[in-house]
Amino acid sequence: MTRSIVLTNHKGGVGKSTSATSIALGMAGLLGQAGAKNPRVLLIDTDSQCHATLVTTGRDDFGAEDSLYAVLMAERQVAVQTLASVLVPSHWDENLHVLPASPLLEQAERELTGTAGAPYRLADPLAKIASQYAAIVIDTRPSFSLLTEMALVAATDAIVPVEPRYLETVGLLSVIGKINDIRDGWRIPNLRVSGVLVTKMDKRVRGHRNMLEELRAHPLLGRLLCGVIPMNEAVSYAHRAHQSVYVQDPKAPASRAYAQLVGRLIKQMSGQMSSQNGGA
Amino acid sequence: MAKRREVDKLSELLANFNGDLLGDELPRQFTDDSIKVERIVLDLVRPDPVQPRRVLPDRVHHAFHNNQLTPSQALREVVQIAQVAARQRGRPFSNLLELLPDPERDEEPDLRFTPEEILLRDLVNLAVTIRDDGQVNPITVIDVTQGVIRMYRIETGERRYWAAWLLRDFLPGYEGDGMLDCIVVPATSATVFRQAKENTARSGLSAVAMARQAALLLLVVHGYELPGYAVTNDFYRQALDLRIPRGEASGIYAAMGGIDKVYFSYIKRLLCLCDEAMELADRYNLDEGVLRPITGLSPEDQVEMIQQIIQFGLSGKQVQSIVQEGVVDDSEQRQEELPIFATKFVRSYLKDADKFSPDILWNAVYREKGDPHMAHAYLMRLAQMAMSAAERFSDEG
Repeated sequence: MTRSIVLTNHKGGVGKSTSATSIALGMAGLLGQAGAKNPRVLLIDTDSQCHATLVTTGRDDFGAEDSLYAVLMAERQVAVQTLASVLVPSHWDENLHVLPASPLLEQAERELTGTAGAPYRLADPLAKIASQYAAIVIDTRPSFSLLTEMALVAATDAIVPVEPRYLETVGLLSVIGKINDIRDGWRIPNLRVSGVLVTKMDKRVRGHRNMLEELRAHPLLGRLLCGVIPMNEAVSYAHRAHQSVYVQDPKAPASRAYAQLVGRLIKQMSGQMSSQNGGA
Repeated sequence: MAKRREVDKLSELLANFNGDLLGDELPRQFTDDSIKVERIVLDLVRPDPVQPRRVLPDRVHHAFHNNQLTPSQALREVVQIAQVAARQRGRPFSNLLELLPDPERDEEPDLRFTPEEILLRDLVNLAVTIRDDGQVNPITVIDVTQGVIRMYRIETGERRYWAAWLLRDFLPGYEGDGMLDCIVVPATSATVFRQAKENTARSGLSAVAMARQAALLLLVVHGYELPGYAVTNDFYRQALDLRIPRGEASGIYAAMGGIDKVYFSYIKRLLCLCDEAMELADRYNLDEGVLRPITGLSPEDQVEMIQQIIQFGLSGKQVQSIVQEGVVDDSEQRQEELPIFATKFVRSYLKDADKFSPDILWNAVYREKGDPHMAHAYLMRLAQMAMSAAERFSDEG
């Protein structure tokens, strides 16, 4: 079973899109380099701001016919066909494919709210092509809206990016609770919170260091902590150049941290897969 | 697309932190090369346009592979063709399920279905089986994905593919998810030899399909590129001028199901049939044995002979004798049909015609009947018959 990692947090600016794109590219690159039989990774952008789409494809003009919007609004019978037809390659790596977002997603959300089966409009067609990818990474918008719900229903693993600030970490447990509510509410037993990713960590700031210590010491959050991404200007430069942070500055601390995180996630995925296979 | 330098930067960075994964420690599920059954959505699977074993009638086959018809539209065409054929034979149907045998319905004892009806009936039957019992055997597909466009080409199992479409779009009660169980073969492992072995290992491969298969093998060993689009029969006919290269014979004969050199040449020779003859022979699944004698005929005669074969169920021997001896002349046929007594009488008369005289004739008849009135009556009847027969001269001369 292909793992689908969703990066979600209802707080904006915590590095969801940066993390989603970096994880997706890192996985495709690492699997390709390691000679994986199928190194393809799919990045799904469910955020109407289209940031992940813009940096990975160089475009943000996807519309009603060639974006996630088309998939969500398609008739059930042709949704898979639509999904397969709107995927685009990323200019970052040939093994990284993108399901682009569109500003129209706001409209889709309004139109689909209250529609029967709306939360499954992404999960259903995605399940039919998931096996063609080694992994799927989903970027979400900064809210627990219908689109985020769709992303969670389609996912197997949720990673919560969080800045090491007091208010963010206070809300962390409620974010995890919300994800669990969605899992239980929509009966998606495969979905689990598999990581908390600390982003924009500045070791020079005492508050950041303290918050990280507190996180590590927390019985639940400490166990979920999957990585710490340092605050890094290279990320901003990379966004501006529509580049990945790895290519923008391979020596930057953020690049190195994401590279480590990717390896850890791949190992974690294999552990989950083998335990699932063993269980089966 | 990413520049080479960028890829190198990324690779180097990832390698620095994940050396263990780049060694032998990449989790097995990412390197697992074993054959697996995957569920693949119908829309991403396409039949092989040069597959020698064709399911659809030629016209629909070409229109479908030239992207003029979607799978659903192609099936609709097949349904319409079968409906017309069925209506012409006085057994119209509106619901596809009516094609299935009904134990409670009295079937005509010698009911002969057209190939179109048989094709559709088989597909409906298969579709109903899939609906009721699931897809028992996965189909074999080749991963021909290019870039972001996922696509799988069917190696074997095209009939199940069409049955699945039929089930999805034409039959009531479908509650599936529009997916097919597929064994995915990497494009690097797919060869025309593999396909040939799969084809010939199954029953029901028509002689014409065998001929196409032989042609493909010959073309491949001679370095021809197999196209990814529908081809005409002329593509296969290129093989008529090709011989099996040294060292390739055993592989080709084995892929053709273990046939020998002579039979291979007979099969290859079927490529001489004209398009119409080929289509008829394929649709009616005619044996190589009945087709062999007609390969040297003109296209019109080939079609005519095949129609005769289909209509009268001629054997190979009968076809051979018709082709060798030609059609018997009408007059000879008429002579053969004459009763023996007439032939005897005429021969005897013609032999001694000059010796006959009225006296001799009267005496002979009178002696035989023993009564002058009876002798007179017989001679009058003979005279009238002779006059009537002589009048045929003006009719036919």
